Amino acid sequence: MDKENSNSITPETDERTHCKKEGRFSSNAVAELEEIITHYPNKKAAMLPALWIAQREYGGYITPEAIREVARLLGRSKAEVEGVATFYSMYNFKPKGKHHLEVCTCLTCGCVGAYGVVHKLEEMLGIHLGETTPDGEFTLSEVECLDWCEAGTVIQVGNKYFGHVTKDNVEMVLEQLRESDDHTPTSLADDIVKILLPEGEPKSKVE
Amino acid sequence: MPETELVNIKINGIALKVPKGEMIIESAKRIGVEIPFFCYHPRLSMKEGGANCRMCLVEVASRMPDGSLRKMPKPQTSCSLPAAEGMEIETETEALNADRRGVLEFLLINHPLDCPICDRGGECPLQNNTLHYGPPTTRFIEEKRHFPKAYPLSQYVVFDRERCIHCARCTRFTRDISGDEELNFLWRGADMEVATFDHTEYNSRFSGNVIELCPVGALLSRPYRFKARPWDLQSVKSICTQCSNGCNIKLDYRLDRVLRVNARLNEDVNEEWTCDKGKFGMDYISDESRLRTPMIRRNGELSPASWEEALYLIASELKNVEGKVAGVGGAYSSNEDIYVFQKFIREMLGSKHIDHRMGPNFHSYNSGLLKRFGYPAMGNTIAELEDMKSTLIFGSDFVDEQPILYLRVRKGWRFKRNKVVEAAPQGLISEDVRHVTQFAEVSLNYKNGTELPLAQGLLAALLEDKGWPLEEQKLLSNISGKTVAQCALETGVDEKDIRKASELLATDKMCIFAGEYVTHSPDAAAILEALGDIAVLTGNAGNLNVPVTRNNEQGAMELGILPNMLPGYVPEQNPGMNTEEILNACVKGDLKVLWIMNTDLVKEYHNADLANSALDACRFVVVTSHSLTETAAKASVVLPVHSVAEQWGTFTNVERRVQAYRKAFEISPDIHAEWKVFSDLSSMLGSPMSYSDGKDILVEIVKSVPTFAKCGPNTLGDEGVILNPVAGGKE
Amino acid sequence: MAELKLLLKYRDVPGIENIDVWESCGGYEGLKKALTMERSAVIDEMKISAVRGRGGAGFPAWIKWSGVLKHTDAPHYLICNGDEGEPGTFKDRELMLKLAHQLVEGMIIAAYATNTDKGYVYIRGEFVEPAKSVRKAIDQAYAKGYLGRGILGREDFNFDLYIHMGAGSYECGEETALMSSLMGERGQPRLKFPHGALPVDAGVWESPTLINNVETYSCAPHILRNGGAWYASMGTERSKGTKIISVSGHVKKPGNYEIELGTPLMEMLDLAGGVIGGKLKAIIPGGSSVPILPAEKCVGVNMDYESCQAAGTMLGSGGFMVFNEKTDIVILMRRTAEFYAHESCGKCTPCREGTRWMFKILDRIVSGAGQPSDIDLLLNVCDQIDGRSYCPLGDAAAWPIRAGIKNFREEFEYWITHKKSPIGDDCVPPVPYRINPALIPLS
Repeated sequence: MDKENSNSITPETDERTHCKKEGRFSSNAVAELEEIITHYPNKKAAMLPALWIAQREYGGYITPEAIREVARLLGRSKAEVEGVATFYSMYNFKPKGKHHLEVCTCLTCGCVGAYGVVHKLEEMLGIHLGETTPDGEFTLSEVECLDWCEAGTVIQVGNKYFGHVTKDNVEMVLEQLRESDDHTPTSLADDIVKILLPEGEPKSKVE
Repeated sequence: MPETELVNIKINGIALKVPKGEMIIESAKRIGVEIPFFCYHPRLSMKEGGANCRMCLVEVASRMPDGSLRKMPKPQTSCSLPAAEGMEIETETEALNADRRGVLEFLLINHPLDCPICDRGGECPLQNNTLHYGPPTTRFIEEKRHFPKAYPLSQYVVFDRERCIHCARCTRFTRDISGDEELNFLWRGADMEVATFDHTEYNSRFSGNVIELCPVGALLSRPYRFKARPWDLQSVKSICTQCSNGCNIKLDYRLDRVLRVNARLNEDVNEEWTCDKGKFGMDYISDESRLRTPMIRRNGELSPASWEEALYLIASELKNVEGKVAGVGGAYSSNEDIYVFQKFIREMLGSKHIDHRMGPNFHSYNSGLLKRFGYPAMGNTIAELEDMKSTLIFGSDFVDEQPILYLRVRKGWRFKRNKVVEAAPQGLISEDVRHVTQFAEVSLNYKNGTELPLAQGLLAALLEDKGWPLEEQKLLSNISGKTVAQCALETGVDEKDIRKASELLATDKMCIFAGEYVTHSPDAAAILEALGDIAVLTGNAGNLNVPVTRNNEQGAMELGILPNMLPGYVPEQNPGMNTEEILNACVKGDLKVLWIMNTDLVKEYHNADLANSALDACRFVVVTSHSLTETAAKASVVLPVHSVAEQWGTFTNVERRVQAYRKAFEISPDIHAEWKVFSDLSSMLGSPMSYSDGKDILVEIVKSVPTFAKCGPNTLGDEGVILNPVAGGKE
Repeated sequence: MAELKLLLKYRDVPGIENIDVWESCGGYEGLKKALTMERSAVIDEMKISAVRGRGGAGFPAWIKWSGVLKHTDAPHYLICNGDEGEPGTFKDRELMLKLAHQLVEGMIIAAYATNTDKGYVYIRGEFVEPAKSVRKAIDQAYAKGYLGRGILGREDFNFDLYIHMGAGSYECGEETALMSSLMGERGQPRLKFPHGALPVDAGVWESPTLINNVETYSCAPHILRNGGAWYASMGTERSKGTKIISVSGHVKKPGNYEIELGTPLMEMLDLAGGVIGGKLKAIIPGGSSVPILPAEKCVGVNMDYESCQAAGTMLGSGGFMVFNEKTDIVILMRRTAEFYAHESCGKCTPCREGTRWMFKILDRIVSGAGQPSDIDLLLNVCDQIDGRSYCPLGDAAAWPIRAGIKNFREEFEYWITHKKSPIGDDCVPPVPYRINPALIPLS
């Protein structure tokens, strides 16, 4: 097995990396990543999972520090990790509101009222697309097809899809979210990390 | 090697046989058919990039299993299309021209048309392809993409993101070749941009290559920026002087100024790469600090003098020297210059005191290697390195000491799945720059100064593997009966890692590099004995390499700038003094004249205090130099001598390859060739060594030094010639 | 030919996401039967069924399966493409959300047939709920001994199944880009045959790789349980079996409908309750990438690979989008172009530059600054992308725009001349309310 295909994360001393201690993954996160790495023949393949863990660990978005940490843990270059991370639209590089409203305005939703929903949300929240409310509660974005077109207009908020949203009922969605601490960018990342990990200990591993 | 299977293909109706699997773009070159491209580069991996510019599309008809020809419905990229039996290719159809026009139109919609102020103008593939295939006008009336212009990526490279055509040559280079992986694409689609991590400095030993790889003016040289138009430049074939690797380069110059350095293809040496030390380090040639006239010390001060004055003064000093003269240096001068230097010291002045070595360790490991293996430094050629199944890099900051050798070893790892074992002292391995550690299978990170026990540990592990009883192992003085565990304890390296490393070394086609942490160690000879044992035990005698580091250091060894060897490693019966002894003799006043050949002794000699004392004590010091260095400033006479740009000459590189460089220009008639200094002095001293040019001298070397027998000025060619093996070197 | 529930047969059974309920509906019977057969016999059954890949290209599934089995030395990998991203398609979402066991069973059968011991379900990052179902199904299957070491007592059959979540990229639905993404890279496509190896010979990590769509794997339990011949008895001569069609847009009952291949397109529309909000204007029958069919061309077209192709469109991924007469095709095409510009991976010139250019032109037209030459320019840009790009995303970006212009050229001309919608102010999608809106920032 060559080095690229080795599965162990070499513990590295601070002197070697010049990293600040506080910028590190928690030991729980490192354990999760180590488990996920065993799913693949090499460490590099755990890049997307590692970035999901990073998004959770660093408060819902990926900081340069987070990229450094992922690069260190996976033995990749920082530029490579940043290149991979920025390719995917679900990784954030700026803080988002507690609830990130991502309204699908693609073909079907766009034809069944999505733009009305966006208008209404802009009015209610007092912000434009791409902006975050001053209280940090909501960020409003437009996204490409979420592939639940039968329920258009669809809004994704963190780990949850809201379907059949119209400009008339979108207020209910907002009210529901205002009272909730769920569906945040962090909980989305956390859910995804949990999905990657088998429940309990792996039942039986093919060696 | 198995013979490559040939297949029959047709390109534009012309039948030809090509190796199966050869990319069609290469096959087309065989019959002079040119296919335009931007992103293609034969040394960059196709698997993880490439075929992206879509400029090299061709029409393809493939042979079906039933023998019929079937035209592929879409045009195909010829850079990624492997030749197969019966394939028929068209490269010049109306449809393809339309496709190329389309690609160029797409590339130009965002590319700023600032060619008049672009350094790439005149040698720009985008300009050239647009001239041949491009649309005469654009239909794009929207706003172009905008980025800040001239964004500095490093002290050497400046980046214009508006001009980038996303060919991924630079990003692939950092991954496939240099290995620092500093450049990557951010974002996607039309927002994609090349960047370093978090816009930090582009930290690479090889960044200059991306300037040459960039097919547009997106990545440019900062030092060369706005300095010239390419058509105003003259170019001369030269050899880089910044290290021992001997990269083939082109010096691009105007009048008497070197404006830039580009790589020159030599498949056996640097392929088509340079390192930054070389690419950006040759400006000393035209620097203001160059000495333009001899200097003589008068009343304690150095002041300008004519050559006649200076030579007369030296000649008068040398007349009564009675052998009390010594010469040091020579590692930066041409083969011809140093040959004449040692001839002058030995034959003219009757002294045996001559040495080029500056390091702290005077155990003559080179002679040790010579005795044991029959070669003085490297047993392998550079090109061979990429085929070594396993390579041990021992005690070396390899990427800095041997940049081009590093690229070869990494190439073997990257493209041929070779393994690399690294043994480096603690502290050398840092995360900031990605080097050998990044791809080494095992990194043995030892306590400083424990090279010897580590080498012994590796040897012991090998012996244990071979089932040698401990008693017999004790016979080997190198191990002194040590066990792997003891060595692990001494070096602070995990015993398992030592064993894993030795397993990797136990293969044919294994080679070892010992770097400066070995050669500068007081234990150098013993370490090399142990490493030599490893090479012998694994069946790789001859693959222990102790590469030199300085420009023509190898040449200095080959041509007898050693107190114990004459040119061609002919042993001197009664050796003279080595550098240390020479300097001590100066201090004691035992030497009348010290000649320093183009070397900043104070800076380079490992003991600056001794060097200073020697210079202060010696009555008459002659220094040949490019500039007024610290050493030159202490001289009695300073003689300005030619740089690599000002004369024809040859260097011997690290693998003993003799390569010629050509004269570009003269900076001043008052700067002389070093050999001419000796030649003129010998006339004044009454027994002239007369040469008309460097080639004359090389001819004499070829005649008198058997290792140089194949290196005549007319046989060197552009690729150079490797010296003959040292006859009778091995005992 | 009409609605025929096979994959969706148990969709509405309460608790079907639990393994016990799935088993009570005959679940894992197909797997058990497969394990009584030789590996190659399982593939023969797939061959007899003639089931074709449901991801969009319609390539016979068994050929890939046997391609992997024939390699005996290297490790094999099994990948399920659950990166459903095609606008208008939502079948995989439902198959994973409600019928995850059907998928897991199908993958185990495929693993057995191809002698593979490691598999990945690649699920798009947005699909948290469906992925949770798949997670649960995998955990339950491990507990019951359907996954892991020595499956159902077969010492020679081990299979570990993992989930890999995407992170927002349509391009990763393309199989080679998906492989890049699975290996931890930017989701950009890789060289395809004959430029590179076929995935079945050297896919992920240079190893033989079977990659199929969720729907394709989901067919396997049924084919094994009931026999390939039974499956092949459904559908048309060349398009066998059933296909799930995701109906959305201006219809009364949007949703997933499973039909026998060959069902008339208009019957499909009736199944979904017919058009609402006005007369039918156009249908996109196979996801946003396929050419749009104006109402008058919909009659006589059947929902199978061949008939769709004959009508100038494609069955694609089965994203059946219905548009009523209030639809402004130019604005719809602008939004389509925006989608592809946003999702282009950027690797190759035509797609990277061409998709963004098309969007800019269309955006300019609907902002009232169109020029008469724009229509031909758009068509020409389509030509310069189509067939010249690295992967099919470029083609997929060009086809809909070209078809939109071809079928509704007068609407483009109207926009350019009158600088307003031919439909009126209440058109859908509405006229973009901000001139020249920037694309969604990627961060």
